[in-house]
Amino acid sequence: MQNGVIHLIKTAFSDFKRNKIRTFLTSLGIMIGVLSVVMLLALGLGLKNYLKQQFEDLGTNLLMVIPGSGFGGGGSLGQGFTSLAGSIRFDDRDYRSLKRLSTARYVVPGHIESMTLEAGGTTKTASVQGVSEDFDEVFNLEVISGEFFDSSDVASSAKVCVIAEDLSKDLFGDVESAIGKTVHAKSLRVRVVGVVKNMGDPEQDNSIMVPYTTTYLTLNPDKEFLAFYIGVSNEEMIKESIEEIEEVLLKRYEEDEFEVIEPSKFLDAFSQILNAVNAVLIAIGSISLIVGGIGIMNIMYATVTERTKEVGIRRAIGATEKNILIQFLVESTILSLLGGLAGLSIAGLIVILVSQFFPLEINILAVSLSLGIPCLIGITFGVFPAKKAANLTPIEAIRSK
Amino acid sequence: MIKLQNVCKSYYLGEEEVKAVCNATLEIKAKEYVSILGTSGSGKSTLMYLIGLLEQPTSGKIFLDDQDVSKLSDEELSHIRNRTVGFVFQSFNLINRFTVLENVLLPTHYLKGQLDFDPRKRAEDLLEKFGILERKHFFPNKISGGQQQRVAMVRALIMNPKIILADEPTGNLDSKTGSEILDLMEGLNKDFGVTVVLVTHEKAVARRTRRQIYIKDGLIVDKY
Repeated sequence: MQNGVIHLIKTAFSDFKRNKIRTFLTSLGIMIGVLSVVMLLALGLGLKNYLKQQFEDLGTNLLMVIPGSGFGGGGSLGQGFTSLAGSIRFDDRDYRSLKRLSTARYVVPGHIESMTLEAGGTTKTASVQGVSEDFDEVFNLEVISGEFFDSSDVASSAKVCVIAEDLSKDLFGDVESAIGKTVHAKSLRVRVVGVVKNMGDPEQDNSIMVPYTTTYLTLNPDKEFLAFYIGVSNEEMIKESIEEIEEVLLKRYEEDEFEVIEPSKFLDAFSQILNAVNAVLIAIGSISLIVGGIGIMNIMYATVTERTKEVGIRRAIGATEKNILIQFLVESTILSLLGGLAGLSIAGLIVILVSQFFPLEINILAVSLSLGIPCLIGITFGVFPAKKAANLTPIEAIRSK
Repeated sequence: MIKLQNVCKSYYLGEEEVKAVCNATLEIKAKEYVSILGTSGSGKSTLMYLIGLLEQPTSGKIFLDDQDVSKLSDEELSHIRNRTVGFVFQSFNLINRFTVLENVLLPTHYLKGQLDFDPRKRAEDLLEKFGILERKHFFPNKISGGQQQRVAMVRALIMNPKIILADEPTGNLDSKTGSEILDLMEGLNKDFGVTVVLVTHEKAVARRTRRQIYIKDGLIVDKY
């Protein structure tokens, strides 16, 4: 039996060896198909994990309160708010009532504005965020130089700011030299007291954070907030906290005038969209696999015709119809699998090279799919040619030229 | 050993029915050395393939060791062919992308169950007996016709069959080589005790066997 399997594989390879170019071209079709499917899988998986990481960085016990209902489009955290024209604006009264929440550890008001910043002759369009001293806690921000402003800075409307890593590099060249420098934001001048690490959100990473009271002076004379960031005491209390927040705000606003958002919910939504898009892309990529399969079928028909006499000889010396069927199925499957292996290897190389710049990932599912699907294709598209071979009458086969 | 009872075999060439073998009744006993003699198109090859169970009769019965084999499944017939019958063809019918040794071992891959001999050793012994052991790693198209036919004979013998069926084994060979092959055939019958059925259109070849069966237009006849 084992001998028979070895013989089958040997038979297949001896035919491939005789038709090297044909074998290469035939498996090339499957190779391209597997390559594209694996790359798309890797892209989908990479993006999903990247997104997941982003949301996990935000913390799982974060809630956001924003005016209006539903996100106003835009992928990053800030853009959603700035596009909300014509809806309500929160104010200090809301802040005071939310601060009394029993389920919240931190309540941070947020005022966001995009403008041109200037520092030491360099200008850059960036966001200015008026927030409270707990902002870094709520978003798990890591202070990499200096420190975050504190409650006394907020109380005194201190003209200080904390700058994000990326922006500090853009304005000052590096993180270290930012501390103590002055940033001009319209008529406001603030001194850099700390630098926070990038969070992965392009808007956050291109922003300065100032005490919200400081924005009252020039940027935010109406003393409005675009959002509240609420750090819930623990994850289990999220639901309870949402209810509490709604109860507080409903005293003043209508139900559709504000919304409490659980960012981790977005992850699910994004994942779903991503999965759908990925599935469509993979379906398109799979077309090349089918085309590759047709190529295999085509070549297998040619092989059967070419080897009709061999089939006759084998039948004469005792091969059953089933033996012949299996022989050609093994051949088409190996042919397809060779393409699959080549495609997977190339995809693996590309992922290793590209993953340094772009989120790509290969998992065990991608590997098993890229080997399993070619097997399936080899069998599916090989079965008709193989049946043709098995059904040859031994005598006619043996007499064929 | 093999009995044919009123065996007919017909083909359809389009609409037209062609009776290749008609009402053939014959018996070949164990260890016989027989020839089937007939002109081209007489049905002699079809008769041989019927005896070798490579063809199913349209009507009539075939008995192998008193077992009716005319209604067996493909699987069962293949198994009998594998174990009991060895074929030798006019055009050798070796597989050119396999070496001599691999060709000889081919039947051993199709045995259902365990071999009762070491296939490689048996192959090499037989190749040596036939004087072609040193060619075992050659590909068939790199050796002479006489050598190829010897390889084919070793392949037919590898499973230790009871009967060897040879279809014009000398047809593609010059008379000297052909004669050597016929000597070997005779040796198979004498030394190995194998039943040998030789299909030929040459009376001179047929005369070398102990009994001749004449076939003409699909019918077995007494005289040729």
